[in-house]
Formats: sequence, structure tokens, C-alpha cells
Amino acid sequence: MERLRRLIRRPTTDPNVARLQRRAALVRFIYNHIWIVRTLLFIGGYVWMLAIPSPELGRGTYIDENALQPAQVNTYWSWGEVHSADKYLAKLEELRDQNASSAARAEFIATEFMQLGIAAATQKYEFTLSDGSSAGANAYAISPSPRTAGNEAMVISASWLSRTGDGDGTLNLRGVATVLALADFFKQYSLWAKDIIYVISDGYMEGMQAWLSAYHETTQTNLRMESLAISSGTIWTAINIDYPGHSFSHLGIFHEGLNGRLPNQDLINSFEHISKYTGGVPVLLYDHGEPGDINALRSDFPWLPNWLQEAIHDQIHLKTYFYRAKNILRHVSCQARGRASGVHGLFHQFRIDAFTVFALPAQGPHGFHALGRIVESFFRTTNNLLERLHASFFFYIFASSTHFLKVGSFLPSAVLISVAMMFGGLKHWTDAAWHLDHLVAVADHKDGSSVGNTNQEKWIRRRRPVLNALGIMISTHALGSLLFLLATSSWWQMNNQQTFYLLFPVVLASPLIALTVRPTPPSVAPLATLLKALNLCFASTVISTTTVLNFSLAAVLAVLLGIPLSIASPSRSLPIKIGKYSCYVIAAFGWMVLTPAETSNAFWNWDILGVWFAPFVCLVYAPLMLQAGIVCLLPS
Amino acid sequence: MRHWLRVSLHLCISLTYVLCTEASNEHFHEKLSLRSLRDGKVASTFTFTTVLNGVEPRHPETLGSKDASQHYNVFPLALGQVLREYGVTELHLSMNAGKWNYEQWGYPDELSAGTGAELWVWMGEGGPLSIEQRWDGLRNALSGLFCASLATMDEQRTTSPSMTFIPEGALPIWNRPHLLRHASLPSEHVCTENLTPFLKLLPCKSFSGIASLLNPHRLFDSDWHGMGIHVLWHPDKGVEIRLAFQSVSDPLRVSRSKRRGMCLSLKPTQSSSTKSPQDWSFRSLFNRQIDRQCPVARTSTIEVALPVNEAYSLEPSPSTVELNVARFYMTNESVPLDINFRWPAEFTYPVNPPSQSLVPLSVQRTLRGSSQAHGQVSVHLRNHLDESVQAMYLETMPWLVLFYLHTLQIKLDDAPRDDLISNISYIPSILHSRPTTLQALITVPPKATIRLTMDVTKAFLRYTEHPPDAQRGWDLPPAVIVPLVNGTLRGPAQPSLGSRIYTPILLVDLATPDFSMPYNVIIFTCTVLAFLFGTIFNLLTRKFVIVRLTLNPGCTVHDL
Repeated sequence: MERLRRLIRRPTTDPNVARLQRRAALVRFIYNHIWIVRTLLFIGGYVWMLAIPSPELGRGTYIDENALQPAQVNTYWSWGEVHSADKYLAKLEELRDQNASSAARAEFIATEFMQLGIAAATQKYEFTLSDGSSAGANAYAISPSPRTAGNEAMVISASWLSRTGDGDGTLNLRGVATVLALADFFKQYSLWAKDIIYVISDGYMEGMQAWLSAYHETTQTNLRMESLAISSGTIWTAINIDYPGHSFSHLGIFHEGLNGRLPNQDLINSFEHISKYTGGVPVLLYDHGEPGDINALRSDFPWLPNWLQEAIHDQIHLKTYFYRAKNILRHVSCQARGRASGVHGLFHQFRIDAFTVFALPAQGPHGFHALGRIVESFFRTTNNLLERLHASFFFYIFASSTHFLKVGSFLPSAVLISVAMMFGGLKHWTDAAWHLDHLVAVADHKDGSSVGNTNQEKWIRRRRPVLNALGIMISTHALGSLLFLLATSSWWQMNNQQTFYLLFPVVLASPLIALTVRPTPPSVAPLATLLKALNLCFASTVISTTTVLNFSLAAVLAVLLGIPLSIASPSRSLPIKIGKYSCYVIAAFGWMVLTPAETSNAFWNWDILGVWFAPFVCLVYAPLMLQAGIVCLLPS
Repeated sequence: MRHWLRVSLHLCISLTYVLCTEASNEHFHEKLSLRSLRDGKVASTFTFTTVLNGVEPRHPETLGSKDASQHYNVFPLALGQVLREYGVTELHLSMNAGKWNYEQWGYPDELSAGTGAELWVWMGEGGPLSIEQRWDGLRNALSGLFCASLATMDEQRTTSPSMTFIPEGALPIWNRPHLLRHASLPSEHVCTENLTPFLKLLPCKSFSGIASLLNPHRLFDSDWHGMGIHVLWHPDKGVEIRLAFQSVSDPLRVSRSKRRGMCLSLKPTQSSSTKSPQDWSFRSLFNRQIDRQCPVARTSTIEVALPVNEAYSLEPSPSTVELNVARFYMTNESVPLDINFRWPAEFTYPVNPPSQSLVPLSVQRTLRGSSQAHGQVSVHLRNHLDESVQAMYLETMPWLVLFYLHTLQIKLDDAPRDDLISNISYIPSILHSRPTTLQALITVPPKATIRLTMDVTKAFLRYTEHPPDAQRGWDLPPAVIVPLVNGTLRGPAQPSLGSRIYTPILLVDLATPDFSMPYNVIIFTCTVLAFLFGTIFNLLTRKFVIVRLTLNPGCTVHDL
């Protein structure tokens, strides 16, 4: 036994010294091979991201809240109600053909509600934008439910414009007709436990934003609106009906809200359940078809070679993967930009769980009959709620309408990348503190002994003055905010072109001052290393914090910033410096030139709906990129 | 022969009953009043009044000594015992479900129309038991009597807003003053388990007389229903107990769903296609008719409010008609009695709001802000009259919501008008114990809407204080507005005060822990504790020494 112990034990006499030496050796090993760790982390992160659509990561949806009991009721919506919906539709079409004004439409709808015996009113509003104004009128009705205190409410809404093409002008007449017919129908039930609010909002998003602001009595500087004449209690759930076509084949679910907020998953799961079992209507995520169609695959991924498309089509796993990838890409593109995928998205800011039901236009077979039954059953389900929806998930990614990913199966991908960046930043920070005195090393080289030369190397500690680096960082962020203020000012909107050509080069060229920075003496850490260290650490922090707020945005940031920021390095020749810098500048501000429509859309979303994406890009993302560009300009 | 025996037995019993009641100075009156409302609904009010002649409420000084024995014939013994046990002079208990729509329905016949349960009591001070002890005992006793959660209206909900809830009857003049205790429980759900004990207090239960119309299946399918127990004292008469049940039913909804066979409790009956859906009868409203008269009732009256300037038909013909009220005296009517009210014209909902309002003020109260920490209470008061109205405004808010009185603002058309509010009396809340009481006198200019706002913070609760279904939030009691009478308005009992208007109740979201995840919470807490403990234990027990380190080849200071 004693012999065995002696064998295992190191021959060192003092165990503390041995431990310290072991630790030193380990740290040295990690330090010398940190690039392997970083590379592994990067690869792990990106591979994980690619694996998110894979069926192995997700799981099937399920109902978590016991009170919901979806699809457990008999529905009474029948052809008589379909007839009344048709009559409403005829009246609405008449209004459309007369080219009725917003106010006239709202007045008409409110009158229809009042004829049903439901208290109704209209609300006029006007948004003042930097390029003009947008005005309209909403109609809404509140049906107090029998024997209820009126402190809880459910909303059923339809916007005048459909979400088709992000409100490109397609009218949602059938959606409005459905809401009117449902209002008539719901009145004869005595079992409602919550008030029901019917809202026909004008425009696409604007109307609902004005209505919700008035309902919650919030103020917005660029919005003038009438206050609501009638009111009800706390809204818990809302459903927005979008039915632009003549008939529909599927019901599509849109659930992304402003600033990446999502509704409780139970709401969507119960709708999916009800649609399938009560209405017999298949449910889709968004408005694109199910996997199985080679043509759909061709149009979705046109960049894939033909043989690969066919190979994918033949493989059920690959086919599912690509279908899910498409859904997740749509989700990410919507959530990352903080954009609502429909009118429902405005509700989430007031803690109301909401989603849009999109009736996918088709030749058939479904119409008012199926939709009415589904919404009736869905309202019976949400009516059952004793408390707010809280049991199921708020952080999730839907891979398809029946499959989703829990937070644990997608969040680490972005976190891994941010950890890799943090390691990089810390490595640069440590590097900056030490300077290898080459003179000693060169002298040792003359001896020719390869073993001893490292022994003779001398590390000299040097100062790390962070003030300059921080100054650069702060000024880039200041530059970003200046740009943002300019872009949101009305002056910018007026002289768009001139300003653009005048200001842009000035803004982009100003960091070139960095070229005049002199190399630092060996006793002081070079500015480039310090800036890069701080830049990487900051970017990593931003990404990892964003993951828990808006995963899509964090993932996009991880992709856009991860490797580019890590490879930024100063170089010796001027053309390479300028070349690298221009690459970063294009990455930072190129969107302003390359996608003007997208840019103006982002600013509109900020102006009207308060979406943080535009300021985030200007104040956080672009400055981070610019800092990496400046790293390239600085002397090494 | 057998039949004859039964009839004579009945006669005998009835006769003794009637003789007893005559002899004992106990009078029982029952009344049902029905009126059609603007929106096609029908409000019905059942009132059962028992008067105990020549009796005075128990003096609190005598509470320690043995009470006189109580012998009642029609007066409910269960309630009488409770009243005497705790020395209650005046008591008002109401349990309502639904939101009373003052604009469409006007004032209710019984004024206490706030959602949920409300109890207010006037008790004389003095005696061996304190007011608080008696209030506590009374709540628990009533809670048991009516199968309601009245016992939870503890000191956290009890206030004493004596300016708003003045006694309806008279208070005996004793050497110590009378005090008010008021509490409301907006989250109380009222249903059949409360009606059954209510019916037990009636001398004829629901077997005969007007009370036989109280059919729980239909009452709890109505749009609004409420029951009230009122005990008061008149010096000239004695102790009066009034049991009231009000309901608002919707013949339009019932007839429509009947046609479709949608209600589970209703079987689709006769085809109603030829009938105007606004018509009502006892059968359609209560699914019953009056088969027997209550033999102990001194008076038994049915009042039907008749519409003005509209065609109608009423069957059978009433005993008397005066001032748009048709009266049926049960003693004159033949049983079974089923009153049919028919409207020849088809009902259409009024599209434009009627010009003449039924109440002087309409009130809208909301709690703004979706945050769980802060919010703002906002009250809109609209005056429908051509003259300015003064109103008493009362908030009795549990400590869950803390008022910032200095942020109280009153605005008329977005312009601050501090002169419109006066006589503010404010008792701030104490966390975890006492609610806020805020009373103020508000003047609303003619045909104007004023807006009253006040910032609030939402309290952070101990985790044991959360109710079941914690994510629902808390129901906040209604505010009460009493328009002061200036000659034109109806004042029920007091010439100086108008009728109470209750605002709808509110729902407040407080910061709520995720109770469904105790496992995660335990794991997380344990990890944090273990980490803290480990670190500190390590630091405390470690011995710090200086180690002379000879570096291995290839190792630099830098690596350390």
C-alpha cells in the first residue's frame, strides 16, 4: 500500500509547491492553446446553430395549463351564422366599392355592433411622422358578459388591411365580417366569464397601436387620439383574424411580437389543437406550404444545385430539416428585427398573449363555417382561464406548428460564440500586459541551444492605458447615436439625398484619423490590442445578455460579429489597412445604402411602434463593427 | 275521506300559523317588482320584509349577561341569534354577481350593487366586548350562515367610511356612540350555495308565495343577480329585516338560445318565431309560476312597471294601476299565477344613446400601466345633467395598492382644476394590515367629464400572502360615488344624500413568484447557498503561508 502511494505521489517534497507548479503548468497549457479552445467554441456554436432545425433537438408541443381544455366543447356556430357573416361581407364590399373614408367605415361598423345590442364606439387617431402623418378611425365594441365583474377581458380583432405583404393594401373584409358575425353569435351564450372586446382597427398596425395606447392610457409623443368612451378590464388574451382570400386551405399562425416578445405557447398550442380536432383545418406555421413539394423546395432554396434538391426531396429527414429551417429562418428574420409579424404583435407590450390567425388564401375547401367554429371553440377555451397564461413557455422557437425547441436546446449556441469572443478578448487583454523582450531572445539564439533559449527570454510587464481605447469606443457609439438622431430627424427626411452624400463620407472618413496615431513605445501596450480586447469583451457581453431577451437578435449578432471581430488585426501596409477598414465600414453601415426600404421600415417601426431595432443597430451594432475597423487602422 | 282529512289538517295548521303571527307582532310582507329596461332586459326585485314590532336592538352593555330567550314565528331565528349575540343595530350584507350597468338600467332597487360581497354594520360602543371582537365574530357567524368567505374580510379590508354609509334606519340613543364597520370582498363568487341559506331564512322557504319563483337554475343564468340582507331599526316600528334578491334577466338572449337549444339548462320549448323575443312571463323568466300563496304573508304584492308611450299587453289584468305601476295583490289573484307581459312591436336596440340619462353621473375607473410595480388609478366622471353635481367619492383600497396622495390630479378637458375637489379625508394604509380610506367631495360641472388620476405603487407580497391562482392578480373593491341631492334626484331614505353608485371592480397584477416551479427554486437557492458557504468556509479554515517556488523549466512568472 505504502509503495503504491509512493508510486502515485510526485517525488516533490512539498505538496503545496507541487500543486502550485501543477496549476502553473495547466494554466500555461491552456494559455498556449487558447486558440484551440476558441476555435472549438466557435465551431460548436455555429454547428449548434445549424443543428437547431434538426428534428432531434425539438419536441412535440403539448398543453401545459389544465384549465384550457381545448377542443372539449360542442360548437353551435352553424350555417345561419355563416349567412349572417356573408351579409356583413356584402355590406363591407359595398363600403369598399364606395371608397368609404376611414371615419365612415368605423361609423358603419360601430352602428352594426350597436344594432346587435353591444355597446360600441369609434376612435379617431392621427400619427405625426417625420414625413407627414397618418390618420384613421377604429371601431370597437365591448360586450359585458353576464354575471361577471368585468375586470377580465378577451379581445377578438381584425385590422382593415390584411397582413399580406406587410399591409400592402389587401383588405381583410372577411376577417372583419367574421368578427361582426361572431359578435352576434357570442351574445346568446350566457357562459362567458370574461368580457369580450371586438376591435376593428384601421390601417394595418397603426390603428391597433392607437387603440391599445388609448385602452391602457399610455401616451406617445407623435400620436394624437381620442380616449375610449367605453372600457373594460384587464385583457388577458387576444386573437387577430386575418382572412384576405375567398376561401382558405390552411390556417397559418403568426406569433412574433414587437421587440422579440412571444405569446405564451399554450395559447398557440390550444388553437392548433382546436383547429385540428374541432374545425378539421390543418394548421401551418406562417403562410407557406408543408414539406413534400419539390417545387416549394426549389423556390425556397434556389441556390442549391438541382441534384441536391432532388436528393433532399427523397430524404425524409433532410426534407423535414429544410422545412423547419425555413420556418426558423422566418422566425429569426422577424424576431431579430423586433418586428411584429401581424397586428397581434402590438398586444404583447401590455402583457397580453396574442397571435394572428391567417387564413391561407386558396380555392378551398374552408370558409366562414370552419373559421367560426374554430374561433368559437377557442374562445370557450380561453374563457376557462382562471389566471393568466403562465404555465407554458415564453421562450421557445417553433420548428413547425406541432414541434418546438425549448430554451435549453437553442440558447447555448449563441452563448458558446459569445464565450469564444470573451476568451479572445481576455487573451488580448493579458497579452497587452506583457511584452517579450526580443533582445534577450536573439542573443540566446546565437548560442544555438534550442532548449535554453526560451529560458533566457525575458517578459517585461507593460502599462495598459485604457483611457484612449475607451475614448475611441465612446466616440464610435457617439457617432452611431448622432447618425441615429440625424436619421430620425425631420430634417433628414426632407433632404435625404443631399445629406446622405454630404454626411456619409464625413462620418465614415473621420475614423481615418486613427492612421495618424503613432506606434507606442514597448513599455506601453499598443492601442490596437487594447481596443480589440475591450471590443471583443463588450461584444461578447452584448451577445450573451441579448440571448435572454431576444435570441434571434443574439444569434444574428453572433454570426455577424463573432468571427469578423475576432480576426480584426492591425497590419503594416496602408492599402491593406484601408481595405480592411472599408470591409468593416460596409458591414457596419452598408445597410443604409444597400437596403434603403428596409432601413426606412426600421425607422418607421421605431417611430410608430417603438421597436428598438433601429436604435440598437445604430448605437450598438454599427459602433462595434466600426471599432473593429479602427483596430485595423491603428499601428500594431 | 283522506283528501278531506288533508285539507282540514292544512286549514288547521294555517289557522294556527296565522293566529300566532297575529298575536306575536311579527309581520311578514313579500313583494316582487319587475320592470323592463332600456336594453330589453328585465329587472326583478324580490323583497321579503319581516318586522319585529316593539323590539329594540340589544344594548352592548348587556352582552356579558344572559340574553332574553328568543321566540320567533316568522322572524329568522338563525339570523336573530347572530344579531343579538354581537349586539348589532344595523346590518347590510349584499352578495352580487356581475356589473350593474347604471347607464342602461338606472339605479337598482336595492342600492348595494357592488360586485362581490359587501358588509357594513353599525354597532353601539361599550360593553364587555370591543367593537373589533364583535365585528370579527359577526363576520365569522355570517360566513357560516351564508356559506360565503366573509370571514376573510379581516382588518386588512375593514374601513369605517361613515360619511358615505350612513344608517338607513335609526340608531338608538345610548350613552356611547355607534360606530360603522365596512368591508368588501370583490372576489366573492355568488352562487346557489349562498341562495339556499337565504331561502331558509324565509318563513315559506321557496315552497309557496313569491319566493317560489326563486329558481336557482334561472336566477344564476341571468345577466346580473344579487342578494341582500338588511337589518334596521325604526323607533316607531321595531327591528325590520329585509331580505332582497335582485336579478336582471335578458329575455332576448334566453329566447334566442332557446330557439337554438344552446342552453344546457333549458329544453327548447314552444316555437317562439311568432313571439316578440322581448316578451316575458314568470315561465320564461323563472321557469316557474306561483302555485300557492304564502299563508303567513300579511301582504304579497307584485308590481310591474309599465312602459310610457309604448304599446304593451299585460295578462292577467292587475288589481290596481297607478302612476305607470300595475299591482297584483296575491290575495285577490287566483293561483296558479303567471304574469305575461307582451310587446307587440319587435325589439330593436337603440343605436344612439338616449338623451335622458337614468343616473346623474356615469363613472369609469381604470388602473393603468402594465408594470407590476407602479400604476395609476384613473377615474372619469361624466355629468349628464344641466347643472353641476357634487358627489362624495370614496375609495377603500386594500394595502396591496398604495396611493400617492400628492399626485392626485383632477382635470377638466386636460386643464388642471384643483378647485373641483375638496373636503379630502385620507387614512393611509399600513402594509400587511390596514386598508386606505380616501373620501373627497367632487364637483362635476354641467355636461362635462372630469378626470381624476392618482399614482399608485403595487405592494410586494410575502409569498404566503398570495391567494390560490396567484397569477390571476387581486380584485380591488369598487369605488363608491354618492351624488349629493339638490332637489331633483331621488333620495331613498335620507333627504340629504343621493344613491350610491358603485364603480366596476379592478384587477391588479402584483409581482408574483412562479409557484409552479418550487423544484427549480430549491435547486437554485441551494446552489447559491452552497457556493457562499463553501467560499466562506474555505477562507475561514485555510492557513495562509508563504511558499518558496522554484520554477520548472519553461515556466515564467507570466504564466502564473
